[in-house]
Amino acid sequence: MAATAAVAIHQFAECITCHAWSPDQSMIAFCPNNNELHIYKFIKDKWEKLHVLSKHDQIVSGIDWSRSSNKIVTVSHDRNSYVWTQEGSDWVPTLVILKLNRAALCVQWSPKENKFAVGSGAKSVCICYYEQENNWWISKVIRKRHESSVTSIAWHPNNIYLATTSTDGKCRVFSTFIKGVDTRGSQSSTSTDSKFGEQIAQLDLSSTWTFGVRWSPSGKTLAYAGHNSMIYFVDEVESAPAAQNLTLRDLPLRDVLFVSERMVIGVGFDCNPMIFAADQTGLWSFVRFLDERKATPSTSKASQLSEALGKLYGQSKQGTSSDTVEPSKPRGGAHENCITCIVPLTKGRDGTIKRFSTSGLDGKIVVWDLENHITVAK
Amino acid sequence: MANTLRLYLTCIRNTLEAAMCLQNFPCQEVERHNKPEVELKTSPELLLNPVLICRNEAEKCLIETSINSIRISMKVKQADELENILAKKFLRFLSMRAEAFQVLRRKPVQGYDISFLITNYHCEDMHKHKLIDFIVQFMEDIDKEISELKLSVNTRGRLVATEFLKQFI
Repeated sequence: MAATAAVAIHQFAECITCHAWSPDQSMIAFCPNNNELHIYKFIKDKWEKLHVLSKHDQIVSGIDWSRSSNKIVTVSHDRNSYVWTQEGSDWVPTLVILKLNRAALCVQWSPKENKFAVGSGAKSVCICYYEQENNWWISKVIRKRHESSVTSIAWHPNNIYLATTSTDGKCRVFSTFIKGVDTRGSQSSTSTDSKFGEQIAQLDLSSTWTFGVRWSPSGKTLAYAGHNSMIYFVDEVESAPAAQNLTLRDLPLRDVLFVSERMVIGVGFDCNPMIFAADQTGLWSFVRFLDERKATPSTSKASQLSEALGKLYGQSKQGTSSDTVEPSKPRGGAHENCITCIVPLTKGRDGTIKRFSTSGLDGKIVVWDLENHITVAK
Repeated sequence: MANTLRLYLTCIRNTLEAAMCLQNFPCQEVERHNKPEVELKTSPELLLNPVLICRNEAEKCLIETSINSIRISMKVKQADELENILAKKFLRFLSMRAEAFQVLRRKPVQGYDISFLITNYHCEDMHKHKLIDFIVQFMEDIDKEISELKLSVNTRGRLVATEFLKQFI
């Protein structure tokens, strides 16, 4: 357990809203909390800025880089979405008319990459697909299901089901079957029978906002987090949902990631990834924090703001600061502020994710290696 | 005395620690807007239950939380009329210079003496623990400051009275 889990820490910006990796993981795209999309490439042991794509008017809220077709999709609070394709050395944008009248909040390519889904503040979800004959991205909207903003979306591996979480506290699963894009499989699975926009399930487990929904690699289990510091695991969502709620001692999670069928990493306001694992009977439990916390010596330095306050008083207040309440200690981990995004990286031979990266409001992208830690869960 | 203050402030600190989990959240009602939900209160589902922490009837702290902002309002101790005037003047002086503090609200919430408004942008720019330290430090100092002011007003009053009455001797 001597090896630390964070293998690389890069300070790219002041604050990062979201990030995505290129298929070969040599390039990274992220939004530095403004309307731009920055693409960096790892050249000679150093990250170099290749492109700054600024087509959006407002903060970019979601990025996804498709694995096989090498396309980047971005969504922004300005209600628009762009699909960026690489032509030569340049990235060429194609505007996608989302038919939304509020901000777009999250985006994800479907597993087959013929569609992508956008969650929005308009209390709806858009499914977008490419129409060859018109050379145009078409958007179909699932309306009137959500009672509040859609905070996160996740595609089922079958390319049809889409799970969403919303600030109305519910997690929903929809069918996104689109004629002409998806083919009705001859398999006996019920998943391909449903019409577009049909609600497969609605999970009303959380009493408050829900975030960060993900399917397990096989699509059997669904995990999402609630703002009441809970994480929910739901098995067999389509037929007979069986849920497990897990209450955390710490601050709420923002995003989760399935590393394998039986292991989940959760990130959030605690600035430290948490490991959850299921035992043989399928019972989920919190294992531990991934990042070992170093005990930082408490500094007696007054905060910048109280210095400002002192200045305004016209007299030094620093000397008089009594020991009534101990100042809270800064966290000694890799991240110093809320982690908002977790992205899988390399997969091991057994199909489990060995490496993943996280980005947060402190502007860092941290790459984590689970190699030495995976045994802990077993 | 010091002990109860410590408990009160620790309680506020722990509440703030848990409540200050903010994120960027665009307005659901108005296109292309991004406003603190705790001020607008347009969507009830985006607000959390407010927490009221009271030390006694005169001293209390109200913490209202929403998805992208948190509002902290406090009432400071005013034992007599002099303290009342001092607190009013002093907090007005601070509120008028709200820009310098960034997180200070220009007008307190009704029923309170001073209010802070912290949004997700403040949490992005500043460390969360330092923001909490600032609020707690502020609450700690405000009582001290007012008692100091009260003392100096009384001393000055006594001096002036002595000087004035000397002429009649």
